[in-house]
Amino acid sequence: MSDPAPIAGDFLSLLAARQVPPLRGDVSLAAPVQTQATTVFAFHFADGILMAGDRRATAGNLIVTDRVDKVIEIDATSLLAIAGVPATAFEMARVLQTSFEYYRRSQLQPLSLPAKVRALARLLRENLPLTMQGVGVVMPLFAGLNPATTPARAKIYFYDPLGAQFHAVGYAASGSGSGTIRSILSFQERHGGPKPSEMQLPHAVQFALRLLMVASEFDSATGGVNPETRTFATIKVLRAGGVETIEAEQQAEFLRT
Amino acid sequence: MTEEPYRWLEAIENRREYVREQIKGGSPVFAASLPDGILLLGVGTGNSKVFELFDRHALAGLGHPADMEKIRQAAIDAAHLEAFTRAPEDVSLRRLVSFGLSPQLKTHFEQIYSAPYLVELLLAEVAAEPGHDLLFRLHFDGAFRYETKGIVLAAGMPDLEKAAQEWLSRNAAEKTERRDLVDLLLQAWWCLIEYKSFTENPPSEEERRAGWRAAANGKVVEIGWLARTSLRLARFETLTLEQIGL
Repeated sequence: MSDPAPIAGDFLSLLAARQVPPLRGDVSLAAPVQTQATTVFAFHFADGILMAGDRRATAGNLIVTDRVDKVIEIDATSLLAIAGVPATAFEMARVLQTSFEYYRRSQLQPLSLPAKVRALARLLRENLPLTMQGVGVVMPLFAGLNPATTPARAKIYFYDPLGAQFHAVGYAASGSGSGTIRSILSFQERHGGPKPSEMQLPHAVQFALRLLMVASEFDSATGGVNPETRTFATIKVLRAGGVETIEAEQQAEFLRT
Repeated sequence: MTEEPYRWLEAIENRREYVREQIKGGSPVFAASLPDGILLLGVGTGNSKVFELFDRHALAGLGHPADMEKIRQAAIDAAHLEAFTRAPEDVSLRRLVSFGLSPQLKTHFEQIYSAPYLVELLLAEVAAEPGHDLLFRLHFDGAFRYETKGIVLAAGMPDLEKAAQEWLSRNAAEKTERRDLVDLLLQAWWCLIEYKSFTENPPSEEERRAGWRAAANGKVVEIGWLARTSLRLARFETLTLEQIGL
C-alpha cells in the first residue's frame, strides 16, 4: 500500500502527493523538431570555478535564438550548465531550484553537495523514456560548494544521459562544441602557462570567451563571442563566498585587457 | 450534548480559555517594517521563533513547538507549490493567509473533539517599496489583521499585547536604524515577559535596557531580516546582536 504522505524536505515527493509531477515522460512519434542547446563548460581557476556557455539555441539547421542563458544559478552555492533540449533542461533547473530551497527552508539546513549531485542524477534517470526515444536528451554540468570542507571547496560534476555522475578534477564540457573545448583545456592544463587552475579571474574570463570563439568556428550550433555586436557568453563563477555573474560589460573589459 | 447551541458555544469558549492559558507564558515576537526591509525578532533557543518561509516571506511565532512546526511546514509547502506551479512572484502572503492558513486554523479550532493549535503568529512579506509591506497578525482561531507599515507583535496575553503595541507605535516612529529598533523591541519584550506596565509607572529606559540584557542572557535573540533589495531571490537572512551592533 502506498503512503501518500510526502517525505520530509523532499519536494519531488510533495509534488507527487499533490499529483503535479514534473518531467512527464510521454512522447508522440510525431514529436516536433527539437530546440537544442549547445556548448557549456566549467573549469577550476585560482579562486574557484568558472562556468560558461554560449547563448545559441538551434532546431535542426535553424538558429532559434542567440540569447539563451545556459548557465543557471540553482542556489547560493550551486550552478547548473545545460546542454541538450532546453525544454527538459530548464524544467530540471526549476525542479532543482525549488527542491534545494524547499529542503533548506523546511529542514532548517542546506542540502549536502552529494545529495544535490544525486538529485540531478535522479532527474536524468526519470527522463530516461524521453532520452531513449531520442528526444529530451540532457547532458548537464553541475558545480557546487562542499561546505563539509574548510574552507568550502567547489567541485565540478558531469553526467551521462542516463544519470551517471562523474567528478571532474580540473574541467568538464558538454554539448556539440565540447570536443574542441576539452582539447584546448587539456592542452592548456598540461602544457600551457598559466594553467587554467592558476588563472586569476580576468584571465580566466578572457580564456573562457576565447574558448567559445574557437568552438564556434568548428561548430555551427555554438554561438560565438563577438565584441563588435556585443554578443557575449553567460559566465558565472562559484567561489567560497558564493555565486557571481560576470556581466557582458565586465566580459568586454576582460577581453580587451 | 454539543449539538445544543449553547453547549457548543461553551465548548468553544472553553477552548479559547485553554489556548490562552497554555500560551500566556510564551516569549513574544515582533515584526517591523523599516526603509530597507522587514525585521523580525524573537528570543528563544535558536531556530525556534523566527523562520524563513519563501523568497520574500518570513514567519515568527510563539506557542507549542509541534504546532508551530505544523503551521510552518504547511506555509512552506503551499508557498513552494505555488512558486513551482505558477512563479515565485505569485507567492503572496495575502493569499497564503486568507485562503490557506486562516481557514485551516479556524476549522481546526472549531473542531472541538481535536486538540487546538497552540500558536500565535506573525507573518511578513517585504515589498519593493516601503509602505507596501505586509505584516500579518494571525491568531490561533484563524482571525487575522494586517498592517502595511509600522510594528506588529504577538504575545500570549491580549491585554498586554495591546498595551505594548500602543507603546511601540508611540516610541518606534523615529527608529529607522536596525540597532535602535532591536534595542526598543527587546525593551518591550522584557516588559512583556516581566508583566511590567506600559502606562502606569513604566520602568525607566535604563531599567528596561538592563532588564532585557539580563533576561536574554543564556537565550538566543533570533533576528530575521527580509531585505527590500537584493541581487538574490531569497531575501531572508539571520542576524546576531553583534552584527547589528548591540
